[in-house]
Amino acid sequence: MLRIDLKDILQRTVSDEYGDLVTRRTGQAVRQAIERDLARDGDGRAAAIDFGTVRCLDLSCADEIVGRLLREQGAVRSFVLLNVTAAHREALQFVLERHRLAVVVQDTGGALDLVGALPEAARRVFGALAQAGTAAPEDVARRLDLSPDVARAALEDLLERGLVVAHAGSYSPPAPYRVGPGPAV
Amino acid sequence: MTRVVEVPAHFDDRSFDQFADGVAAGGSERLLFDAHATQWASPYGLVGLLAAGQAQIERQRERPLLTLPADRDVAHYWARAGFFGHAAEYFELHGKVPRVAASSASDVLLEVTPVRGADDVHGVVDRIQERAAAILSRELGLEAQATMGFAMALSEACQNIVEHAGTLGWVAVQTYHWRRTLKRRVVVIAVADAGIGFRRSLEASQAKRYGERWSDGTALEAALVQGVSRFRDPGRGQGLAGIRRYLGRWSGKFAVRSGTARFTLVPPWDDDVPLAQGLAEFPGSQILMIIPAQDGGAGHAAH
Repeated sequence: MLRIDLKDILQRTVSDEYGDLVTRRTGQAVRQAIERDLARDGDGRAAAIDFGTVRCLDLSCADEIVGRLLREQGAVRSFVLLNVTAAHREALQFVLERHRLAVVVQDTGGALDLVGALPEAARRVFGALAQAGTAAPEDVARRLDLSPDVARAALEDLLERGLVVAHAGSYSPPAPYRVGPGPAV
Repeated sequence: MTRVVEVPAHFDDRSFDQFADGVAAGGSERLLFDAHATQWASPYGLVGLLAAGQAQIERQRERPLLTLPADRDVAHYWARAGFFGHAAEYFELHGKVPRVAASSASDVLLEVTPVRGADDVHGVVDRIQERAAAILSRELGLEAQATMGFAMALSEACQNIVEHAGTLGWVAVQTYHWRRTLKRRVVVIAVADAGIGFRRSLEASQAKRYGERWSDGTALEAALVQGVSRFRDPGRGQGLAGIRRYLGRWSGKFAVRSGTARFTLVPPWDDDVPLAQGLAEFPGSQILMIIPAQDGGAGHAAH
């Protein structure tokens, strides 16, 4: 998995004095740098974007970086946002609701969750999957007291949105990742 | 001829329309802004006064005069808030400017600061986080997440200038005890410019849709309620809507005045109207955000 450190991108593209992702101009510069990294990496590999050093994330930057990346590349690549704080989540939730999109986030403690616009069933199923690690639709159905068909439909919905991965009839979140500095697992 | 525009004794968002009446009545005459009897000015008053002076200069009218507050404490506060450092550019000042450095005193969270471009917004957000976090949590009882939202709201309001005004604008942030209505501590963000305003910014994309109803009021509604932007990108137009949501959560007040109208998100503690139209014309746009101390904050009346 390709790991993208926003601190590094910010220093390379805008200024090494900034610790905040604010203004649309900054967001555009950061997104374009991410797009260059993704293009070098080739299509398809999932990418983890690390927010660990970002203090303030405003709506303009959240839209330019995450909203536009998901809109333009979400169909061909999965994204996971690492070290996302409650304040980051708030900005991301606002922006992604507007675009009817969702993304996997991992908080600083390593817990996985979804942010954005999603049916409640899909959100619950992802929560169960995040706890289990890997599970077949029947396992998820048992955990949540759902019918296997409902669980399977929710998992397929998540898969189509690039929010889970499927292997040999089982599903799992696009994780785990090592928390903190260092390369992604 | 010089026409006198009286700066209200208590100069804030409530008395701003009276001030705007005076400015509009001045037409193309030289203006003398008379603040000698002014007893108090909020950040909204200070940045609004600068925008009034800026508008005169940018319309190539004669440099307006400004009579300083006679009250020494008031003039000192204006100096501490960084007002005079910029006022000399737009006004011929009459009265003794106090020799007081703009300070990081705890009540002035951000002195009057010009905003021209993205770099200025970065600077503003950087400074407010350094200075304000402790005060917002201790005095206003806002949790850490909310102080980050505060920086977000400030950033989006400043970007409104960068993206839409077509000229520079001003921002100031202060915290004070509001004895009149709320009887608790508040933090006030004021952002003002003398630019093109919402109606002209949105005219090309929206005026046709509204037909004869197109006005400063409908332009504000389009921007603030429907999240309309002059840009075609579907991600645009979220900034002001995001501010509304943030302030709504903290029972805050959010008001945007542009041209002859003012849109207000009215909190339970305020008696303003949601949309005021037919006000005196004032150039550009002026944004006000007030966040009151929450239950549990040191600035809450119960404490």
